[in-house]
Amino acid sequence: MSDRSHHQPPAWQAPVELEPDREGAGPGEVPPEDDQDDAGSGDEHGFDGLSLRQWSWTLPTFLGGIAALILVTLAFDASDLLSRAFAAGDVLGIAVAALVALVVLTALKLALDELVAVRRLRRIDRFRIEAERLVAGGGHGAAGSFAERLSRFYRDRTDLAPGIEALHASVTDAHNDREIITLIDRQVLAPIDQSAYNAVLRASRDTALATALSPSAALDVVIVLWRNLKLVREVASAYGARPGQFGSWRLMRRMLANLAVAGVAEGLSHVAVDALGGSIAAAISTKLGQGMVNGLLTARIGVASMVLCRPIAFSADNRPTLRRIRSELLSVPKQIL
Amino acid sequence: MSAKFPDWNNLAGFGEKVLDQALGHVGTLAGRMLEGNIRLGVTGLRRAGKTVFVTSLIDNLIRGGRLPFMDVVAGNRFLAARLRSSPDRSAPRFAYEKYLANLTSAPPHWPAATTGVAQLRMALRFVPVSSVRRSIQPISTLNLDVIDYPGEWLMDLPMLNQSFADWSSLTLELIEHQPRRQIGARWLHWLSTVSPDRRADESAAKEGAALYTDYLHACRRSQANLSLVQPGRFLEPGELAGAPVLTFCPLPLPATAAGRAGSLWELMSGRYEDYKTNVVRKFFLEHFARLDRQIVLVDVLGMLNAGPAALHDMRMALTACLEAFRHGRGGWLSRLTGGQIDKVLFAATKADHIAASQHGNLKNLLDMLVSEARNAIRFEGATVETMALAAVKCTETVTTEHQGRKLACIQGTPLGRQRPTVLFPGSIPDGPDLFPEDVTQPYRFLDFEPPAGVGRDGRGLPNIRLDQALNFLLGDHLA
Repeated sequence: MSDRSHHQPPAWQAPVELEPDREGAGPGEVPPEDDQDDAGSGDEHGFDGLSLRQWSWTLPTFLGGIAALILVTLAFDASDLLSRAFAAGDVLGIAVAALVALVVLTALKLALDELVAVRRLRRIDRFRIEAERLVAGGGHGAAGSFAERLSRFYRDRTDLAPGIEALHASVTDAHNDREIITLIDRQVLAPIDQSAYNAVLRASRDTALATALSPSAALDVVIVLWRNLKLVREVASAYGARPGQFGSWRLMRRMLANLAVAGVAEGLSHVAVDALGGSIAAAISTKLGQGMVNGLLTARIGVASMVLCRPIAFSADNRPTLRRIRSELLSVPKQIL
Repeated sequence: MSAKFPDWNNLAGFGEKVLDQALGHVGTLAGRMLEGNIRLGVTGLRRAGKTVFVTSLIDNLIRGGRLPFMDVVAGNRFLAARLRSSPDRSAPRFAYEKYLANLTSAPPHWPAATTGVAQLRMALRFVPVSSVRRSIQPISTLNLDVIDYPGEWLMDLPMLNQSFADWSSLTLELIEHQPRRQIGARWLHWLSTVSPDRRADESAAKEGAALYTDYLHACRRSQANLSLVQPGRFLEPGELAGAPVLTFCPLPLPATAAGRAGSLWELMSGRYEDYKTNVVRKFFLEHFARLDRQIVLVDVLGMLNAGPAALHDMRMALTACLEAFRHGRGGWLSRLTGGQIDKVLFAATKADHIAASQHGNLKNLLDMLVSEARNAIRFEGATVETMALAAVKCTETVTTEHQGRKLACIQGTPLGRQRPTVLFPGSIPDGPDLFPEDVTQPYRFLDFEPPAGVGRDGRGLPNIRLDQALNFLLGDHLA
């Protein structure tokens, strides 16, 4: 047991009876050593080992430089524009100034939202890493604060309130870290899993139907891209990640990069087998077949984003499967024909 | 068009509808008839906490508020549980209400030691997982039979497979060692004065049996808290108090192999065989037949309190009893009873007597103690699990400072006291070195009073891992 270092005295301690009042017995929890909840430190990508590419410092510097240059140019242009507008007349000047201020303010707001979103995503990553550590350690006393922080993270979610309440009711001081994590998993996250899975189901049916019916390949790409982005955002906000526009692109990119590694994709051959072996209609119609493939890919992306946005990693017995989605997709040809 | 007036153009459709309705009714009926049955054997040596375990199990299943780890409860599929009359009318009913009243009265107290066998049936209603099963049976019922009996009787089980000569020589070998030698001094003295070959006479048999019974009682009471005490009915005679079948005791082997006709040896050996057939075999046929699941409760902490001799004795007793079960196929008891136990849970009870951070070590210790029995059971094809649990949680884990060190202690009211106290009862090591040489009393696990107002919140008695135990034992039948 790895918790010995916390609780068991280093040397032999004889049985002893203490006065309850004098010793000031506190609750049975050892305070967590690192409450780095809001300490925005840590690596850029959050999950170590999953990221495929290692960026060197040159490219970010290059891109950052270009961005800075563009900003400076824009600032010059804006001041130029303002002085010209004021030269033409005060009213025009004030109007242009107001416009510029509006643009700057909204840009700031957008950036702030993105920042908040990125931070929430990082917090989820940290939750997951900590949960993994707690489960692996199998110790006692550290998961209480984890549960506390996670329920604070979800405090705005009225739909999760009953689950969180049930969690507080069922956790006792006798549960060890692993048990508490399992309880959180079951009572707080299981309802989210359900709604996220339904979103994935809907999205994969949508893309399958839309690609099957769309007249051109270019339209396919647009539809699939748009629907997948929407799905990723839906899933992420179901888990409380709330990504902005830019954030969901980032999430999508990160997810695509990790699709193979995250253990979701079983290889593309399965997609083909699912699509072709599943239905004769798919073999007859290429368009239908493409629809199925796109639907399955969407499902995979959806499930991958569930894996990436969940504060506690899925275990072997609650990992979402594509089974229901497959059977749902196989009914798509019937819906069309 | 309503179903009463068939549409003549669509007779097939009408027929289908009628058939559908009929099938629906049949399905509901069949569902009622297809109730699952499961017999749970609650096994344990004396004072392992069987009665309290069964009481807490029933109470928690009825109230259902403290079982988050049961899949059927977590999945919101559990509807309700209620008590039913047992199909076996001969056995007394388990006095659940009385024991619960004991625990919840003011002031609360523990139920008295069990003196006889009792059983209870409860019906659990739930929604099945599989959609196929759900379409036949929207609501399923599982009948759970639980049996409670004095733990002393369990020790009779190994005797079923032993002749009087075998049993006598084993018992006499056991008493050669301390602390039994000292405890049984009076009986040993008596034994040295009689010869097994002497003429049988009732008064001698009575005297020997009485002294032997005293010895067993002394074993049970002794500091060492010995577990291997046979025969169990000598301690808890149940309905057999004073019956002649209980007047025998082990004897050294007589000079002639079978003993002379009319000798004391022959008399005692006859009574031993009588005891085996009419008491032990009957009990186990009636109550242990067709067990499906078994939980073995072990009071590891009590044994640690009592010292190495007690621990060793308990280990021997457990191995001897479980030998008989030989779960899965092929054990001699299962040949006898036709039973087939496919899941066995070993549980270290009274886990609330130690700080929660020690539960892992307690479980490891139990693993070590039952390793032989566990391997045998696994080999026979049954699933085995170990766990540290408490049927009624009486303490809270707290951390305190003591002489500059942080200690994980427990807070509760020790048995027989009024005020709660904070106790560091000693820590269970994470290894085989349980009793360090230089320490006289390494452990002091006190028993605790049930907390006042326990179970008043209507969610069931507070417990530690009762839900996980139930999920292991019953989970697959509630799926």
